[in-house]
Amino acid sequence: MPAVLTIDPRSGVPIYLQLIEQVKRSVALGILQAGEQLPTVKQLALDLTVNPNTVAKAYRDLEREGVIETAPGRGSFVRADGAEGSSRAAAGDVARDAIERAVREAKSVGLRRSDVRDLLEQALNHWLPEEA
Amino acid sequence: MSTITIDRIRKSYGAYAAVDDFSVEIPAGTVFGLLGPNGAGKTTTFKAMLGLIRLDGGAVRYDGEPLAPATFERIAYVPERSVLYDWMTVTEHIQMTRSAFKGFVPKMALELLTQFNVDPRKRVRQLSKGMRTATMVALAIARQADTLILDEPTSGLDPINQRHVLNLMINESARGATILFSSHQIGQVERAAERIAVMDRGKLALEGTVDDLKYGRKIVEGIFPTSDVPLDEFHRDTRLLRIDRDGRIVRLLTKEDATAFAARLEGMGASGVRIVDLNLEDIFLYAVSPALQTADVVEGA
Repeated sequence: MPAVLTIDPRSGVPIYLQLIEQVKRSVALGILQAGEQLPTVKQLALDLTVNPNTVAKAYRDLEREGVIETAPGRGSFVRADGAEGSSRAAAGDVARDAIERAVREAKSVGLRRSDVRDLLEQALNHWLPEEA
Repeated sequence: MSTITIDRIRKSYGAYAAVDDFSVEIPAGTVFGLLGPNGAGKTTTFKAMLGLIRLDGGAVRYDGEPLAPATFERIAYVPERSVLYDWMTVTEHIQMTRSAFKGFVPKMALELLTQFNVDPRKRVRQLSKGMRTATMVALAIARQADTLILDEPTSGLDPINQRHVLNLMINESARGATILFSSHQIGQVERAAERIAVMDRGKLALEGTVDDLKYGRKIVEGIFPTSDVPLDEFHRDTRLLRIDRDGRIVRLLTKEDATAFAARLEGMGASGVRIVDLNLEDIFLYAVSPALQTADVVEGA
């Protein structure tokens, strides 16, 4: 399982945020399933070679957001009750971040609102065509 | 676990101030990275922490107490330069360390040396620079000390053994040890450390958690129609660390609120406004680089 989580320490994004994003993405894609156990903080810290408190912070935030739950003495698990809801929300978070980045980028290179709307429309038609 | 307080320490060699009023607190149980260019005062600070040099002023305290003979049993130190004896074998170093420190676990030292591919029967003079570093790290870890002070603990090691040293540090941290280390490989600090301090010319240039520094610090850049847009309001803003103007391009280095600054640049008529993430290397370089000719530096860091 840890193989699906990777981090890029040279990125400007804090490592704990990278971990949060990756767990959400894995839940959204079904790589991590409802009730599945996550590695312990220490194990994930060693697998990824990152500070254990950084992993602990990511787990705490994921727990607060309802993506995972921690049973004292047993470990952390993907939430069973909200797996569907939290995975949909997680997918939404991942997609919203990506779209916001893209729109910001389009704005910074001087595109107008109508240009960006055309591009989004094209992308939607290509990747998510309306069902007949 | 020890909280280490470095309180306004000073050390000069002749007219040269190696460490000049440097203070930092290393919370118990953290992995703390000390960064700085060569000659910034890192090694002098480490030596002061171990009582290896006499300070001109200030103090180092462990859990509020000054360094005492009993403190040494709790601190393991890997110096920047090899302190191993060339003519002795690695096994003899293990025996020597065992007689010097009660907590030392010889079996663990041997296991670690095997992991590093160091043959304990060899004399130190037969070991490469990296193998010597690995030997010192293995001897230090096997002390199972409360506090580890590691001066360039990965220097000369291949990437696999560098990663292994970082994982040993992470393992020690999970055990509750307080770890202070220096490295010029900022990517390693970015992984292993949760807090950092940057030293520059003997002084503290920057301190904070790696996550907070990366989360808050951004470059906000915009292009104005003319090269004489007044930037006075930015000069008064304490959130900005640096303001660069390069013709029509304006770059702000901010500690926080990057999106608000982006909006302000746009409100002033800038186009192409973007927010650039900074990694720890960028943050480090901004903290220690002298002001550019075109820069209006608001604050040192």
